[in-house]
Amino acid sequence: MNSCGVMTYKEYLRVLKQHSPYDFSDYSDNSIYRRIDKVMRDQEVTLEQLCERTRHDKDFVEQVVEAITVNTTELFRDPAVWKYLFEKHLPSLSGNNFINVWHAGCSTGQEVYSLLILFNELGLLDKVRVFATDISRNALDVARKGVYQNQIDRGCIENFNTVFDITSGDKTTFLNYFDVDEKHDRISVKPFLKEKIKFIRHDLVKNDVPFYNKVDVVFCRNVLIYFNVNLQNRIVQRFHEGLYNNGTLVLGAHEGLSGFFKTKFDRQGPVYRKSNVFHLRY
Amino acid sequence: MKKSDRKFKVVVIGGSAGSFSVVSKILSQLDPEFPVPLVLCLHRLKHVRSGLVEGLNLKSRIPVVEPFDKEKLKPGVAMLAPSNYHLFVEFDSTISLSTEEVYNHSRPAIDFAYSSAAYAFREKTLGIILTGANKDGARGLKGIKDKKGYTIVQDPSTCDVETMPQSALKLFEPDQILTPDEIVKVLNSLVG
Repeated sequence: MNSCGVMTYKEYLRVLKQHSPYDFSDYSDNSIYRRIDKVMRDQEVTLEQLCERTRHDKDFVEQVVEAITVNTTELFRDPAVWKYLFEKHLPSLSGNNFINVWHAGCSTGQEVYSLLILFNELGLLDKVRVFATDISRNALDVARKGVYQNQIDRGCIENFNTVFDITSGDKTTFLNYFDVDEKHDRISVKPFLKEKIKFIRHDLVKNDVPFYNKVDVVFCRNVLIYFNVNLQNRIVQRFHEGLYNNGTLVLGAHEGLSGFFKTKFDRQGPVYRKSNVFHLRY
Repeated sequence: MKKSDRKFKVVVIGGSAGSFSVVSKILSQLDPEFPVPLVLCLHRLKHVRSGLVEGLNLKSRIPVVEPFDKEKLKPGVAMLAPSNYHLFVEFDSTISLSTEEVYNHSRPAIDFAYSSAAYAFREKTLGIILTGANKDGARGLKGIKDKKGYTIVQDPSTCDVETMPQSALKLFEPDQILTPDEIVKVLNSLVG
């Protein structure tokens, strides 16, 4: 590779790909540039130095990957979507013997728990098995513990009450799912929810899927926005293959399917359903 | 402005406290033939997630939409940064969204919208900062200026809250300091 001169981010990504199991070359330009820029500022290194350490220091690579992939998530982000799932969509799964869920890119897990709470309120929790995957070890550690800081301040209880039409300020239902320490603004997920989830480290960019089951629901919210359209389509293809027919795909509130994939899913409100019928109406 | 010299590829308007009525006024007086893609990055209350786009559409003479990720910028269409997402303008004239950390206590952060547009379109970027009670936007707007783009700051004496324009003025000298009516005139001069 370049031994002298000014390096570009793209060249750095090539080095990273060569010297580690990680490939960020299909991430969207703007987001990846900004993240690498932040790593350089935080570590006080130039791109060349970043490159040098990436070639020789495996632990450093892991740190960089953590910094590049960190994302925020919250309980019941976009309450309207959750309300739709609860009232209109998930009840249609009540005839199933079991409900397999793949939560792809679960980050620190708040939305995995949000989904399980919906299933429990619908009386379907016993049927549910969740595979929750993410590239970040640190995020998965947080997700497994299910202990979150500063969520009350960010309105998690209001979001929760909005979804379930509970009077504002009433905490009784929320307390069925979380131990709450208001003084330190800390909430802890109760064990009966945590035991339903298998957390698995997995890089969505890679082709394998880390479990064998087909799934009824794929949850992948605000993850595809970090990828370019080619990679988005590759991953949506994998979701399509992994879903049972008529299975559900839930994306972020401002994520959509592009091109050909619009014809392979039916849109229902904010969710997509796998379809084997070829649609030309788009 | 020597408009003959430039063909802008994007106009980015940022605003916070008090900016709804200014943006609404601008949109209501804009020429329906407005030829440039418009991006609106406005701070909004996180828990009031709907209604802004509808509110702006009531009076606007060009369509206002909340874009999906990777949606293409369109001439004469205003794209409003969705609540709780950062918005970036990309090289290929698409919008990308992100849920990374709040920046300047804000998501969307106006700095990100400005600086990504400056990065993508350089001197073909027109940035306008409006009233607001925050310093978000000042650095990003300076970024547009640094790339030889065109920058306009709302005249602080016409602002509900002048913190945001003042933070920009402290940082650099914009091309123009204008009242909302004058901003409308500049935008409409881009037609034809």
